[in-house]
Amino acid sequence: MAEISNDAAPGTPLDRERAGASLRVVSVEGDDAIARRLVDLGFRPNTEVRVERVAPLGDPIQFRLHGYRLALRRSEAHRVLVVAR
Amino acid sequence: MSVSRRLATIALVGRQNAGKTSLLMHLTGSSQHPVNFPGSSVERTEAMAKVGSDHLRVVDLPGITSLEALSPDEEVSLAWLGGRTAAGKDDGPDAICAVVDAGKLGVELKLIVELTRLGMPVIVALTKVDVAGVTLDVDSLARQLGVAVVPVNALSGAGADVLLASLAKEVASAARPAQLAPIDIDAVVRSVTTQNADGRPSLTDRIDAVLLHRVFGLPILALLVFGIFQALFVGAEPLMGLIENGQGVLGTWVASIVPEGALQSFLVDGLVNGVGSVLVFLPQIILLMLFVSLLEASGYMARAAFLLDRVLSKVGLSGRSFVPLVSSFACAVPAVLATRMIDNERERLATIAVLPLMSCSARLPVYVILIGAFFPSSQAGLVLFSLYALGIIIAAIVAFLLRRTRLRGSHAILMMELPVYQRPSFRVVKNQVWAASREFLVTAGTVIMATAILIWILSYYPRPTAIHERYEAERAPIAAALDKLAAETPEHEATQAKLDNVGVRERGAYLEQSFLAEAGKAIQPVFAPAGFDWRTTVGVLAAFPARELVIPTLGILYSVGDVDPGEFDIASLDQAQAHREEGLAGRLRASKKDDGSPAWTSLSALSVMVFFALCSQCMATLGAIKRETRSWRWPIFVFSYMTTLAWVMAVMVFQIGSALGFGGGT
Repeated sequence: MAEISNDAAPGTPLDRERAGASLRVVSVEGDDAIARRLVDLGFRPNTEVRVERVAPLGDPIQFRLHGYRLALRRSEAHRVLVVAR
Repeated sequence: MSVSRRLATIALVGRQNAGKTSLLMHLTGSSQHPVNFPGSSVERTEAMAKVGSDHLRVVDLPGITSLEALSPDEEVSLAWLGGRTAAGKDDGPDAICAVVDAGKLGVELKLIVELTRLGMPVIVALTKVDVAGVTLDVDSLARQLGVAVVPVNALSGAGADVLLASLAKEVASAARPAQLAPIDIDAVVRSVTTQNADGRPSLTDRIDAVLLHRVFGLPILALLVFGIFQALFVGAEPLMGLIENGQGVLGTWVASIVPEGALQSFLVDGLVNGVGSVLVFLPQIILLMLFVSLLEASGYMARAAFLLDRVLSKVGLSGRSFVPLVSSFACAVPAVLATRMIDNERERLATIAVLPLMSCSARLPVYVILIGAFFPSSQAGLVLFSLYALGIIIAAIVAFLLRRTRLRGSHAILMMELPVYQRPSFRVVKNQVWAASREFLVTAGTVIMATAILIWILSYYPRPTAIHERYEAERAPIAAALDKLAAETPEHEATQAKLDNVGVRERGAYLEQSFLAEAGKAIQPVFAPAGFDWRTTVGVLAAFPARELVIPTLGILYSVGDVDPGEFDIASLDQAQAHREEGLAGRLRASKKDDGSPAWTSLSALSVMVFFALCSQCMATLGAIKRETRSWRWPIFVFSYMTTLAWVMAVMVFQIGSALGFGGGT
């Protein structure tokens, strides 16, 4: 799939970003079902993502993309590479 | 004469929370109660929609995100879209109604494009237009996609009639659907969307700022759960009292028109009390399902899952298991039904398997009596807390082990939308509460009734005449004396109490030689290492259909033998519960084994309580598990592991306690 890249793409893993950060998706790492699901959930290249908040216990994280709110655990968010917008 | 024809089958396809379930109700009208069809793991729901004199079969499928399944629920939906039921039968839709959220067209369009590739006509139902926060050019969207797009309000039902007409028209036209040409999703979304720029954060964002607050989020959740828990007890109490009274009135009435004997005992003890002891849970089930349904429909359930996911992920569950687990402290039966909200099937099964370990309200009376009888009030709170904690700890361990063995899956993932807050749809809530109650009643009417009858037979027979003659001989002089006394005098009351007591002891004597007691004595060696005497063993056996049955059973068993019954003011077993319990506590303390040593010590009481905390003694729960997992495997598994665990832990408590020198009486 063209949208998914295994290469050493630039960008930081999404789980490293702080609450309030406005970001742009570079790629989703991996080529398995979870990577494809992340793309289906809207993490396509160039999609704008905002980190809304981290849960009180540190995991999961709430994101905002395509106008909706999505919660991901850090382990999944880690596979989305982003750059600052 | 016109005959109603089925025109076609329409599948409602979309993500969770898109509004499919509400839409189904609005399409098919209030006269239709949706029917749930068992699949292998999840259900599809269907109902008929009237179109003129004909009808469309509308099927609501579990939510999907794409045409690639990650969970068993999604597999079921996709298999059915492909023309197969989970059981392998041929069935499937003639057309697809894609139910999509207008607020996130950017992710929904990909699914629509994939659906059009299935070779069936596709119509798009656009929901949540009013809360999308954007204005959409619906005509332009329909033109660019090449399919009909109908805005609907899944809550109010506005637009459902237009959608139905479009669906009917679409399936009536024989034209093959055109394959959608590849589109640039982001470009389409940009071209049809106008931002409603008022710059203010939306209502949902403002609510979340409070409910998901770093510091206040968890305390608010705790308060809410506490409130629900309290409401379950307080709100259900009067209704439960009403059912119990009704049961008492019905039992008395049956006893008054049916002559004393086997038939009367069967009707009163077997049927009325057996079924009544199950029906009494109905108010709690209705209330709990109401709360769960409201939390789910309003959007808060996903927030609770978000707040607590971290804790539950440690044992292989996720935030979605939280509400069923908490509900189970009230009653495991509705909690098992509440696991439907968990989308991952393995996680759901693991949750179901550990739910009955939470100490439910039916265990509380057992704890209260035994703690009151054998522990000083300074220790009472600690003992009670430990019993609740024991259930939680064991549940965590069992869930952890299950998720690494039988229910190992792709590691639990949480990819969960936090939906826009909305007013719950009355009809959706009503239907969920109704469905859960109806299923519970069906279970109560079949499995539980059969078990109640079986236990009654075992506890009633055999009936040797020698026992009857012995107590008749004892009764005759008292009855004669009673006749000579004036009513309403203390002497009359005392004599009446004596007479009633003979009846109680007669019941005890029958019970002592019943098949159930014989079984208890035969099994006694198994429970001896746990410190149970044979009467406790019988009580434990009698409590397998429903654990609260142990109290009346022990009450009857300990009313005979070594204690002078005149000492206690238990006139009859039908007296007030509190009264009876106080009497029972006293009798348990005073009772002796055959060798003269105390039958109960604080250590054996603790051992019995640990047994009750962990044992699976509830037919209603096992019936609900059977119904929800659609197999006998899970109820049998739950019964086996809990009962084994209960025995092992009870024996450990008693043996280790005895070795440490705690076994020597109170």
